[in-house]
Amino acid sequence: MAQPKKGPDPNAPKEFGKPLAPPTQVTRVRFSPDGKHLVAACFDGKVRRWDVGGKESAELPALGGHNGWVTDLLFMALSPKIGDKLYTTDSWGRLTVWDTDGKQRWTVESAHDGWVRGVAHTSDKAVVATCGKDGYVRQWAAASGKRDIEWKVGTDLLSLAIAPKGEWRLFVGDQFGIIREFNYVSGKPGRTFEAKELHKLDRIQDVGGVKCLLVSDDGKTLFAGGAEPKTGGFVQCIPLLVAFDVASGKRLSQWKGANDNEGYVTDLAWHRDGFVIFTTSGQPGQGKFHIWKPGDEKTLFSGGKHPNCHSVALHPDGDRIAVSATNANSSGNGRVKGTGGEYRANSSPIQLWSLPKL
Amino acid sequence: MPRATLCTPHEHRITRRRFLGTTGAVGVSALANPLVAEELKKQKRQVLFVWLDGGMSQLESWDPKPNTPFGGPFRPIQTTVPGIQISELLPQCAKQMKHLALVRSVSTQDNSHSAGVDRINRGDPKNRGVVYPYFGSAVAKLVGAGESGLPPYIWVKPMSGGFIYKDAGFLGPKFGALALGDGKPPENLLRPKDLTTEEDEERNDLRKLLDKNYSADRRAELTEANSYAYEMAAQLQKRIELFDLSKLPQKDQDRYGSHDLGRHMLLARRLLEAGVTFVKVTSYGWDTHGDHFNGAASLHPKFDRPFAAMIEDLADRGMLDNVLVIACAEFGRTPRINGHIGRDHWPEAWSVCMAGRGIRKGVVAGKTNDRGTEVATEPVDIGGLFHTWFRALGIDPSETQYRNGGQPLPIAHEDMKPVKDVLA
Repeated sequence: MAQPKKGPDPNAPKEFGKPLAPPTQVTRVRFSPDGKHLVAACFDGKVRRWDVGGKESAELPALGGHNGWVTDLLFMALSPKIGDKLYTTDSWGRLTVWDTDGKQRWTVESAHDGWVRGVAHTSDKAVVATCGKDGYVRQWAAASGKRDIEWKVGTDLLSLAIAPKGEWRLFVGDQFGIIREFNYVSGKPGRTFEAKELHKLDRIQDVGGVKCLLVSDDGKTLFAGGAEPKTGGFVQCIPLLVAFDVASGKRLSQWKGANDNEGYVTDLAWHRDGFVIFTTSGQPGQGKFHIWKPGDEKTLFSGGKHPNCHSVALHPDGDRIAVSATNANSSGNGRVKGTGGEYRANSSPIQLWSLPKL
Repeated sequence: MPRATLCTPHEHRITRRRFLGTTGAVGVSALANPLVAEELKKQKRQVLFVWLDGGMSQLESWDPKPNTPFGGPFRPIQTTVPGIQISELLPQCAKQMKHLALVRSVSTQDNSHSAGVDRINRGDPKNRGVVYPYFGSAVAKLVGAGESGLPPYIWVKPMSGGFIYKDAGFLGPKFGALALGDGKPPENLLRPKDLTTEEDEERNDLRKLLDKNYSADRRAELTEANSYAYEMAAQLQKRIELFDLSKLPQKDQDRYGSHDLGRHMLLARRLLEAGVTFVKVTSYGWDTHGDHFNGAASLHPKFDRPFAAMIEDLADRGMLDNVLVIACAEFGRTPRINGHIGRDHWPEAWSVCMAGRGIRKGVVAGKTNDRGTEVATEPVDIGGLFHTWFRALGIDPSETQYRNGGQPLPIAHEDMKPVKDVLA
């Protein structure tokens, strides 16, 4: 019997425009609150920016001054009088805030001892919080950079999220699959949420952890992304995204990948219609972006154009996303040379997609 | 009445006293005694060979390239030697840099584990149709077991142990490694409680007789190795206390770490103190093709602390004058960072760390280019490192040869030369 002809996937996003082509790999992408700019945190210590408000994307001057990798980005929407702000962090410990025109407002050179893993702002936008490999969570006055409350957790803190609504909850996820809650007003530590399957001690290597955190817009659901590691070294792991009920602390649902070559869940975005859009890193040549309705066993969509996806940004209009991935053939032992004989770094093509009606 | 199978306290005391007189394998105060150290220096030529299987990244260890396209996220830190910086992931080693020598211009041939492990361990000599010995077997042959009464080549490793004769190559199985799986003594090392010494000796006599009959029509090396393994077991039986790390000060256990590599390095120190000629410590799992930087953040400190503690302890005991210490792997890792945020295999330009006997302190030899993608000075292949290590042990490869049944064979690649900048 002939198989019915398969039509186009109604849930498939559609790519538009050529991918943006930073010359280096990218750790994070985010849209500005007005949706006109797309910003990328890069491996070469630069923050690259594009004007994506017109038909053609146009690259703007990059922001410099960071060391190592730029590790996270945070836009804060403020009044037109004050202007929106961009907070950037790096792997050498620095936290910097910029005006949207690229003017640097303030910098804390040693916000952390080394790798700053994440930055988020409180619902009243008075405070930004950071977490680091040094095991600290720190709060900073958003306007001045003055240090406020800090908590010492003591383990490598990979991810950070703040509930946009409800009680003043801040969450940090660590390398062992533990998520800790803090009240960012009182400074009191709260509950812990466990997703220990996100970690494995393989030989002497601690593998995995809570790679990313997200709280839904209503503040009711906490999502923890990472993977179930099978091995260290090569890191074979099955991506895993766990949803928790914030009020009760109970697990609600989870999405788990099918194979151990699919890598980690690397970044999360909340869609106003109740969907989570996320990326997976994958072994070289693998890795996708996904659209998932919490509670469903499967994703609505899993795919993409380029492999090894590391970040997803949702446009403020809710109709578009940007996904940063990796060029093809990114791996190889020994001196793999480019077509011109040169030894090249890999890069992260950033593709824009329009979302289907979800 | 049957004797107890374990040593009595009295025997222990004698053994330990004798041991003090020869190797100084007990407390810090005795070992710190300059006279003891001087005696050790005269008597001992030893090696600690730390093998980080899979390949440690040179960029996150001995040769950081901060703020370059391939430099990665980590910071460089200052060491105790002005002008020498290493990765922030090795802070304890940075404190010991005054004792260390780095070769940053290592460039070898293989980018696969299967070929690389063997070639590096055997020194990659010219092909003469024979299988060359691993460095441990070579040192066991050329230096010998010394007066410790212990096997000359002991390999401390995770997982299983046994007698690894393949390391010996043409030297013959006798020069293979006694592998201590998970740092534990060989199984059934202790004589069963219900077996008397006399019965055990009778049993061994019977075994020797059977071996003799068995070897009559076979290659003598195999039965010789078999007998040798028994003899080694008997030697270890007398020193079973070496394996009980719980008797060591808690501070030592904390400094080295409770993980495999920490425990195995601490055992290695005990074995070196007891006079073992060559101790190899292997750590597996360094092949970080994926999530490399988080992997390095987890792995490198577990090398850093015990390695630095070892250097510090050997220096405190005066043993760095007679123990050659080497930290090595089959290759380094690619500057290029793949899509899984990993680094792949890279024999082209990597680093080896060494210290101790015959080695200059606090120096760097060779360099890579600004991006870490090429050796910028004369490349050093493993043959050159073998020349360096042999010379550090007082063995001149130009005057020393193996004899393989009548066939003279050089101990290191004759077209290569030592890295003079790191030789004392």
